[in-house]
Amino acid sequence: MLIFSGSSNKFLAQKIANNLGKKISPVEIFVFPDGEKRITLQEKVVGETVFLVQSTNTPSDTNYMELFLMVDALKRSGAEFVKLVMPYMGYQRQDHIFRDGEGVSLEVMAKILESIGISEVFAFDLHSIKIPEIFTIPTYNLSALPVFAKKIKEEFSGKEPVLVSPDMGGIRRIKEISEMLNISYVTIVKDRDLNTGSICDSQLNGEVNGLQAIIVDDMIATGDTMVYATDLLLKNGATNVVVFATHAVLAGKANKILQESKIEKVFVADTIEIPEDKKFAKLEILSVAEIAAKALKA
Amino acid sequence: MVKTQINNSDFPNFVLLTGTANEPLAMEIAKLLKSPINNPVSVFADGEIRIKIAPNLRRRHVFIIQPTCAPVNDHIVELLLMIDAAKRASSSEVIVIMPYFGYSRQDRKEMPRVPISSAVIASMIAHVGADRILTLDIHSEQEEGFIQQPWDNVYASYALAPAIKKKKLENLVVVSPDKGGVSRATFYQGLLGASELAIVYKERDLSVNNKSDALAMVGNVKGKNVLLVDDMIDAGGTIVHAADYLKEKGAKRIFACATHGLFSGDALTKIAKSALEKVIVTDSVKHRTEVVKNPKIEIVSVAPLLAEAIKRIETGDSISSLILR
Repeated sequence: MLIFSGSSNKFLAQKIANNLGKKISPVEIFVFPDGEKRITLQEKVVGETVFLVQSTNTPSDTNYMELFLMVDALKRSGAEFVKLVMPYMGYQRQDHIFRDGEGVSLEVMAKILESIGISEVFAFDLHSIKIPEIFTIPTYNLSALPVFAKKIKEEFSGKEPVLVSPDMGGIRRIKEISEMLNISYVTIVKDRDLNTGSICDSQLNGEVNGLQAIIVDDMIATGDTMVYATDLLLKNGATNVVVFATHAVLAGKANKILQESKIEKVFVADTIEIPEDKKFAKLEILSVAEIAAKALKA
Repeated sequence: MVKTQINNSDFPNFVLLTGTANEPLAMEIAKLLKSPINNPVSVFADGEIRIKIAPNLRRRHVFIIQPTCAPVNDHIVELLLMIDAAKRASSSEVIVIMPYFGYSRQDRKEMPRVPISSAVIASMIAHVGADRILTLDIHSEQEEGFIQQPWDNVYASYALAPAIKKKKLENLVVVSPDKGGVSRATFYQGLLGASELAIVYKERDLSVNNKSDALAMVGNVKGKNVLLVDDMIDAGGTIVHAADYLKEKGAKRIFACATHGLFSGDALTKIAKSALEKVIVTDSVKHRTEVVKNPKIEIVSVAPLLAEAIKRIETGDSISSLILR
C-alpha cells in the first residue's frame, strides 16, 4: 500500500499516513509560468494499491485537475488500484438540476474520476446522502460526527446542551449525533429566496430557552447561515451558541464574520486545510485522520 | 478568400455559447456568423463554477467557444461543465471550438511516471459528451487520436500569412526555432514564397522546466530578413534565444510569428530586450492589456477562420479545403 497526496491538504494526508505507520510517497508538482502543472511521481508504483489524498476545495478546479493528472500518472505507471481519499468533495452542492439550463457538475466530476481509473472513493460528510449513488464505484461517506461527539461530551455535557440543525437538510445528521450523545435536538426551518440565495424567513422547531445551543452542520461556506441561526437561538433564550461543522469552506469574509459574531466557538474538521490568514481566534480544528486511517485499513 | 457571412435562415439550428476564456474572440465570431451568443458561466462565493444556459437548445447544434488558456484549470472545468449542461438540455450535437488547447504540450511520456495530460483533457471532453472538437494549430496532430470523435484542426496561417505578406519582406528566410517546428516552417516558406529555410537547434534539459538554449543552426541568414515561426510563445525563451542567436549570425530584420501568444512570466520583458522587431500572434487566447498595447506585438484575428469553420461544420462542407496549401 502506498499513500500519495495532492497539494490541497498535505497536512491531513501526513496525519493519515502517520496513523497508518506509512510515509507519503514523493511526487513533484511543478507549475509552469502559464499555470499548467506537471506531475512526476518519484517512486515506482507498479502493481501497488495507492491511496491518493486530495480535497477539492477552493481552488476547486485546480485541485480537481491536479487530481485527474495524478491519477493518470499513477494508472499509466502501473498502479493496480487507485483509491481516492477526498476529505472534501468540491462541487458536491451541484448534485442535481436546480433550474432549467443547468448541468450536474458533481456528476461530471464523478464520471471523470471513474473514467480515469479510480476504483474507490472515501469522502467525509457529503452534503447529501444520495451523492454516493452518483458514483458507480464504491463510495464511502465517512463522518466527523464521532470526533464532534467526543468533543461535545468533554466540553459541554455538564452545561444543559441542546443540539441544533440550522436547516431541515441537516435533519439526518442532527438525529445521528443526538443518538450518539443522548442529547435532544431542535431544527431551524429556513426559507431561501431561490433567486438571490439569501435567507428570507425562518422559525425554530423546539425549545432552547436557558440551554447551551450546539449547532451541527456539514459545512461553513459564507458563514451567513451560522450567524443567522445564532441570532435566532439567542433571541429564543439560548444561553450561548457554539458551532460544529465538518468542512471549513470559509468563502469570502466568513472568517471575519464568524469571529465578529455572537458565536462563542467554532469547531471544524481538518478536511479542508485552512490557510493561516483565514484562521481566527474562535476557531478550533479537530482531526478526522484517525477515522480516515481506520476506513482505509478496513 | 472565402466569404464568412452567412444567412442565419439557412441553418437556424445552431446556438453559440462562450465561456469566460476569450469572450472578445467569441463575440467577433458571433458577429461574423450574425448569430446571438450566450455566456452561461457564473461563480459561487467559494469559487465553484455554475452553468445555466438560457437559450433553448433542444435539437440544436451547440458550438461552445472556449480556448483553455490561463487560468487553464478553471477554463477546462468551465468547458466540461458547459458541455454537460448543453447535453442535458437536449441539444442534438455539441461541438467544442478550442482555438487554444491547454496542456497540449504534455502529449507524451517524455520521462517515466508522468501523466499524458493532453490525453486526459481530450478524453474528459469526449467522455462528458462533446461530439466534435475543432482546434487551431494543435501542438501535435497525433493528439487527434486521443479520442474516437471527429477532431478537426485548422491552421492560423490563414490569418498570419496575409499579415506577414503585407510587410513585403524581401530576401526572407523562414526559420524554425527548434527541430520540432521544421515542417511548420517549410509550410510557411511555401506560403510566403520565401527563398530559404533555416533551422536553429536547441538542446532542452528535461530536468529543468521551460529553460532552453540556442546552440547551432542549419542554413544561412547573413544579411537576410528572417521570420521565426512557432506554434506558441509561452515564457518566450525559445523565440528570444533564437532571435538573438540569428542576430549574432548576421540577420538583418528579425520577425517572429506564432499562433498562440501566451506571453507568460517575464516574456514581454525578454521580447522588449531582444533582437525581435515584431512578434505577430493571433487572438486564439485572450490577451492582457499589456500585450495588446505592446509596440512589438501585432495581433491578427482568427475569428474569420473560425467563423468559416463553424459555418462549414454546420453546412456539411469540407474543412480541409479551408487549409491553405
